[in-house]
This record gives sequence, C-alpha cells and structure tokens, in this order.
Amino acid sequence: MSAGHPEAAAAFLNDSERAAWHDQALWFVRQRRDRATDLPEWEALRDRAAELKAYAMANLAGLLEAFETRATASGVTVHWARDAKEHNRIVFDLLRQRSATRVAKSKSMLTEECQLNPYLAARGIEVVDTDLGERIVQLAGEAPSHIVLPAIHWKKEEVGTLFHTHFGTPADESSPDALAAAAREHLREVLLHADAAITGANAMVAGTGGVVICTNEGNADLGMHSAPIHIVSVGIEKIVATLDDLGVLLRVLARSATGQPITAYTTHITAPRPGAEMHVVLVDNGRSARLADPEFRSALHCIRCGACLNTCPVYRRSGGHSYQYSIAGPIGAILAPAVDLDAHRALPFASTLCGSCKDVCPVRIDIPVQLLAWRGRIASANALPKGYAAIFARLGGIVADRTRFESAGRWARRALRFLPPALLAGRWNPWTRAGRELPLAPAQSFREWARREGRVE
Amino acid sequence: MIARAEILAAIRAAEVPPAPTPAPVPDAADAADLLQQFRSTLESVGGASAVCEPMQVFEEVVYTLLGPGRHAVVVLPGRFAVAENGAVYVDADDLTNRADVVLATELVLVVPTGAIVATMHEAVRRLPAGSRCGWFLSGPSKTADIEQALVIGAQGAKTLLVVFRD
Ligand code: SF4
Repeated sequence: MSAGHPEAAAAFLNDSERAAWHDQALWFVRQRRDRATDLPEWEALRDRAAELKAYAMANLAGLLEAFETRATASGVTVHWARDAKEHNRIVFDLLRQRSATRVAKSKSMLTEECQLNPYLAARGIEVVDTDLGERIVQLAGEAPSHIVLPAIHWKKEEVGTLFHTHFGTPADESSPDALAAAAREHLREVLLHADAAITGANAMVAGTGGVVICTNEGNADLGMHSAPIHIVSVGIEKIVATLDDLGVLLRVLARSATGQPITAYTTHITAPRPGAEMHVVLVDNGRSARLADPEFRSALHCIRCGACLNTCPVYRRSGGHSYQYSIAGPIGAILAPAVDLDAHRALPFASTLCGSCKDVCPVRIDIPVQLLAWRGRIASANALPKGYAAIFARLGGIVADRTRFESAGRWARRALRFLPPALLAGRWNPWTRAGRELPLAPAQSFREWARREGRVE
Repeated sequence: MIARAEILAAIRAAEVPPAPTPAPVPDAADAADLLQQFRSTLESVGGASAVCEPMQVFEEVVYTLLGPGRHAVVVLPGRFAVAENGAVYVDADDLTNRADVVLATELVLVVPTGAIVATMHEAVRRLPAGSRCGWFLSGPSKTADIEQALVIGAQGAKTLLVVFRD
C-alpha cells in the first residue's frame, strides 16, 4: 500500500476549489434525500428495514437454500463462490464456454470488489460498463469514487473532453444533455449486441426465487433481455425473506440514495426468457466470517444506498478515491479493515464520529460504534497508523489526569490568545496547513466558569 | 458443490442469534385521492398521464399527451399503478418481448381505471404468483451522472405516458 487515507485526502484538498465543489455536489444529494424521506412513517420504515435485515442474517443459510430451490425450479442456474477468485473463475468459464468476447455489465459493486473486469480483460474478454457514470470512469481508467454516483468527482467539461476523444462529440461540448445523448447511442449499441450481460442485484427474494435489480438508466434491462446469457453476481447478504420485506426495502432504497421515490426501473426476475440462459453467482468473499463476529455483523445489513457517503463531512471533503477501497465513505471504512486490516488501518480514523451516517442509514447500522470498535482492534493489534500511537499515549496521559488536563487547557488558551498568529500557523500545525483559521479561544474554560458561578467544586 | 457446502456450513457456524420475524406491514390507511397522487408523482419523475374517458378515442388521448409531431409509440399493458412513486407494474407475461420496456423510445402504459395502490407494501402483494419477470416502471429512463444534472432519456424510454382506461 502506498499512501494511506490522510495523505490521499490531503492531496484531494490541495485543489480547494474542486474540493468545495465536490462537497456541495454531495450535500445537494443529501438534501434531496431529506426531502424524499419526509414521510410520517419514515422512522417506522427504517425500524422495519433493520428488522428484516436482522431476520435475514439470522436465517441466512435457510433463505439461500430456499432461494436456490425456487430459482433452480424456474430454470436459473445457481452457483456458489467462496471468494473473489472463485467468482471470477465461474464467470469466466461461463463466458468462455459460450465463446463470449464482449460483455455488457451494469452496475455491480461486487464485481468491483472481486476485480472482475481486469481478470476478464487479461483473458481476452472485453467488459463494457454500461451505467453512464461507470462508463465515464472506465474510459478514464479509474475506479468509481462513489457506490451510487460513480463519477461524482467528474466535471462536465472533463466528461466533454473524454467523450470528444472516445465518441467524437464536438471538442467544446459540455452540456449534460448532449453528452448523455452521445453515450446513449454508444451504450445501446453495446447493450443490444453484447455476447453476455452481467448485472449485480439489489436484492434476492427467498419467497419467490427472484432477483431484484434497480436502475435509473435502464441499462441492466437492455442488457439482460437482449443477450443470450445473463449472469447475476450477488453477495449472499443481499437476500430478503419475503415480498413484504422487498416492499419495505424498495421504499427506503431510492429515497435514501438519490431522493427519488423509487428508481425508474425496478426489475423482479425469477426465470430466463425463453431460449436464453440465466445464472446467479452467490458470493461469500468474507461475508460469512463477518457474520460470525457480533461486533461487526450488522455491517452486512448495508443496502449500498450511499446516504452515509453523501452526508459524511470527511467523505465529502476527501473524495472516494482517498479511501482506496471499492466502497468508500463511512460504510467502506468499516468494511475494508475486515478485508485487510493492515492496508486499511487508517480508515476507521477517517471520521469525526459525528454520527450523521447513523442518522441517515435506512437500515440503522450503527457505523460510529463500529468505527470505534475497529480503532480498538487496530490499537490492540499494534497497528495504529503512523504517528497515532505517540499522540494517543500523550493525549491519554493528559485527559486521564484532571490537573494535567486543566493546565494543558489553560496553556492552550493562552497560546491561542497571546502568541503571534504567524507562530501558531506554522508548517507544523496540520489545522492551519489545511487553510483553516485557528478558533478564537475563550478566556476561561467551561469548568472555570462553572466553578466561579459556584455550580461545581 | 464444495463451495456451496462450505459457505452454508460457515454461515451456520456463525450462530447468529435468532431474530423475530418482522411483522407484516399493514395496508395504508384509506388514502385520499390515489389517482391524483399518482398523477402528480409521475409528473415529478418526468412522466405524464391521462384518463381516457369512455367516449374518448385512445389514440387521440395519447397524441394529445405527446404533443405535436411525435408518432412512433409503443403501447404496453400495465397491471396497476402505485400512487406513492408514480410506478406502473408491467408483467412479462403480457409482452411478446421483454426488452420492449427499454427498447421503446416513446412508451405508453395502459392501466385499467381504478387499478391504483397506495404504496409499495400493497404493490408487492399484487405481484402475480409465479411471475417470471416484471417491472415497476416509474417515469422515463434518466441519469444524473454528469454533474448531477438530470437528463431524461438515458438509455431507455425518453417519454413515458400512462393512460388509465377501462
Ligand atoms: S451503511 Fe447504511 S447509509 Fe451507508 S450505504 Fe449502507 S445502507 Fe446506505
């Protein structure tokens, strides 16, 4: 691993104008979410969503078996993959046996997690990502920076330049309408003529054996109903028990994600169309291990709505790529350490623990508590990020001792009030280095004030 | 098959404590005007709708909605509409080709008058038993992937109209 999150975030913030623009773009989505969730029953819906996920995790094996039985009975082939490698192998074998060389893929964070695209490319199979945002980052040789809005870090002028190179749009064309129209031509061409379609899934329903796929663009449907073979890559935690549960999920998902009441396309598919094939690859890749860990189990409830990213002050100001994991933001920060603690040990610290993620999460995952728990595990494993151990040891000694704490506070207030700003804002100070003003220090602490008022000893 | 056995064994070995079966969600209390709610929600997601009265000609209703100069439309049957999100349920059993729902540029969904449910809770209960494939279609295809600017007609329908008819 090269630089960690703090270094990558600092690099992102170097372009302060872009960082502010990124922050605002996400805040806009967060506000749309707030309006869409203004329903009298919203909090009850979140309770119900959390319950259905807890129920699914408590009955996971049985539900997967029920799903498999029903899906198989209606002509779907179900595969099981223990890890990313096995998943990629299964997909590759299916494609190779059918001599597929061009694959149209719709959005799937799981295939990102498994690094399916490079795996297939190395074996001579071209995968075209057909979600517009994903296509933008794919053409640019990047990874998505957001689980729902893959190209949220791209400006329209940059998309214009990219499309000029690849699709021959006029060099100065930057209107989203014109650029999306050019992409439409290109992507429909790809989708209608691909040898195979790969999609993710937003849910599987044990009660119907159905796979549920939500998109706004319609790309998943164009691909899966045109290609001779449709492969669904899905994590085992995506299962729900009943259609009732699905109804609840569909009510919270798009509202939380983009502030829409539902996505434009919500497809429930239980059987291939006549003459075509449908395969579902159920992927574990560490999920069953997480299930066995009570502290982090509920991270599996995540429905990948992205709300916690949009609201997170750290994500908004550091950009998705700074997380260096397929899933960025608060949820990524609690998922990534389970995958590779050493590589991702800085992520649980990339949070102020403000709790905003927990407040918006439609399935009520207590992300801050898990961030804290990861910090504990990282400290016990002696794997604290560079510099943290010394600071924490110092700070710990001070806050644990009231006299030292009070005198440290006194000195800090005096320093802030009386030392020349140039001295305080030196290169050594990470606060001012990031372009921030130092706060005005009050003359006395809260405790001193309370003591003077005779409210405490 | 080793993978399947291993995954299921690992899940069972995780010994997740039992969780209560979630209670069924009750139907929405009698909502006021579902048709009105559906029509305004559909408009907010980029679609449009009309009610074809018994004495009206269906094609005329459609062309009035479409506006001048646009003719090539695909008409598909919808089973029912959902007031809270402007969606119409379409089942593959009613189509000759599944891809039609996304191939059509100008899509008209015809829904029986009065077939409207309030929310997705009622909607999922109305899925036909044994359905092989079905869609909730809410307005035309759209994207906001370029600087969050909403573009209607991403890859599927550019226009989506709903006409209620007996
Ligand atoms: S953790 Fe919650 S808010 Fe974040 S993406 Fe998952 S479901 Fe959405």
